[in-house]
Amino acid sequence: MPYFIAKRILQTIPALLGVSVIIFFMLNVLPGDPLASLLGEDATPEARELLAQSLGLDAPLPVQYWRWLTSAIQGDLGNSFARNRPVVGILIPAFRATLFLASWSALIGVVTGVFLGTIGALNQGKVVDRIVGVISMIGLSIPSYWLGMLLIIVFASQLRLLPASGMARSGSSLFETLRYVILPSLANSAVTIGLIARTTRASLIASYAESYIVTLNAKGMRGYQVLLHAWKNIAPSVLAVAGLQVGFLLGGSVLVEPIFSWPGMGSVIYDSIVSRDLRVIQAAVLFVAVTFVVINLFVDILQIFLNPRLRKG
Amino acid sequence: MATSIAPNSTSNQEESIINVRSLYVEALYKLVKSPIAILTLGILLLLLLGAIFAPFLTPYHPNEGNVSQRLLPIFSPGYVLGTDEQGRDMLTRILYGGRLSILVGLAPVIFSTLFGLMIGSIAGYSRGIVGNILMRAMDMSYAFPVVILAIGITSALGPGVNNIIIAITLVFIPRIARIAEASTKEIVIKEFMEAAKISGASDPQMIFTQLLPNIIGSVFIYSSGLFGVSIVLGSGLSFLGLGASPPTAEWGYMLSSLRGSLYIQPLVVILPGLLIFITSIAFNFLSDEIHDALEMDSH
Repeated sequence: MPYFIAKRILQTIPALLGVSVIIFFMLNVLPGDPLASLLGEDATPEARELLAQSLGLDAPLPVQYWRWLTSAIQGDLGNSFARNRPVVGILIPAFRATLFLASWSALIGVVTGVFLGTIGALNQGKVVDRIVGVISMIGLSIPSYWLGMLLIIVFASQLRLLPASGMARSGSSLFETLRYVILPSLANSAVTIGLIARTTRASLIASYAESYIVTLNAKGMRGYQVLLHAWKNIAPSVLAVAGLQVGFLLGGSVLVEPIFSWPGMGSVIYDSIVSRDLRVIQAAVLFVAVTFVVINLFVDILQIFLNPRLRKG
Repeated sequence: MATSIAPNSTSNQEESIINVRSLYVEALYKLVKSPIAILTLGILLLLLLGAIFAPFLTPYHPNEGNVSQRLLPIFSPGYVLGTDEQGRDMLTRILYGGRLSILVGLAPVIFSTLFGLMIGSIAGYSRGIVGNILMRAMDMSYAFPVVILAIGITSALGPGVNNIIIAITLVFIPRIARIAEASTKEIVIKEFMEAAKISGASDPQMIFTQLLPNIIGSVFIYSSGLFGVSIVLGSGLSFLGLGASPPTAEWGYMLSSLRGSLYIQPLVVILPGLLIFITSIAFNFLSDEIHDALEMDSH
């Protein structure tokens, strides 16, 4: 098992290099004009040349890449053009807020999804199962940014139960924190709910057809005890989907955050799109991608512990 | 509903390889008989026709409003779906907006299916170094969540609907290439491929007459599921300000420009999003029906 884990950790190195190449490519090779995005469209040629030199843009691409990569590893992603502050300083607090939102979304998504999927599987073919199917489909299809607006209308504007925007200040009570996080994470988790419900339902149905379940039933075990066994059996496949979802929720937060003025990466990206602050956007993309790779690593390692069959690898 | 793994799926597959055309015809018959497929197809067709024939369906211009008629509620006289924050007729803008929004749902899936099929089948067919390099290059995109990769590419290219389409196409290609490569690898070891080779077929002949007809089914099942993702994602990018520039009518952009009036005229504000949702769920239900009709595993 240590060998497998070490191998899996080493595999993240090419993945991270790939991420760095793609992001460098986005910044420097795609036909966008980085100088115009820094200076504005109507800069003089002299100013452009001066900036190109000071940014090292006159060096060959591989040299530029190497400089960018080494300073990125040291935590220097340059300055924000619009805010005139180091990009990293802007992103770290925002990243924390996004991670917090994504974690809650994952929790809500997985718990609700497993619950719905189980109900569907236990009532296979009945009306309840059909309803679960339709709910999953709505979850998979609904635009999160639109669901967010619906939730604000219902729970904030009409019922006045929950706040429509912002995040609870640090040090607030759990109740207060929950009041702020519940709507954005609900909007963000719709796809996860649909996907996990479908996965759970399908794997539970397949699991219940297996002979060990017949044995458990024959031994006179109660329904919920059998269900626990089946759950244990489908955990790895649900976890595989859930793990990927955590990463996608991190990306998905970007679409939800601006609606709720959640002070995370999404709102930073949104503001940066408005102010054409390309460097901040690309750094945010880098942050999310690196986290995504690391999360996938953890999920794979967790899989080894949950699924003994993988340990031999 | 999407899990129809028949116990005799292997024999089914053998049959499908021998008799590809009749399999697709049969799937079409099944599709026509499914009420869900007909309903969703009808909705999508209606939206498409509404977008195409918008000028004949409404007397208003999509970009010109009457400031004195701002934010009228739904069912106002003369404005069935109300007006937006600049006094433009909502029904008109929704009809016209469908042009770009439906395009953003369709175009990336079509382009990425073509490119993905090409890359995946070449990689799977040639195997060896070429195939390996192609697929490892595709793998790099898997280190990104879809939304964030699309945002990164679009923001680098600059805002615009064209760039949204390019970005989503680029995001989808590796996923389709992977499916195409996997199915190609399954097909190349079949005996009929050997037979075609022995009877003197050239590589392009092999790919176009033997390989593609056999892998297109599983690729199509996968890509049909992407229409819904594409419209939600594309409208989302527009919503963030990466798409259509004002005053163009486009559902995602409309939703974001109306957002400020959420508390004043909520029912009008949510309309563009409702259209995105209806389109995406119709595509997704249809994709499920296609999947069931073709009775294959969509990986």
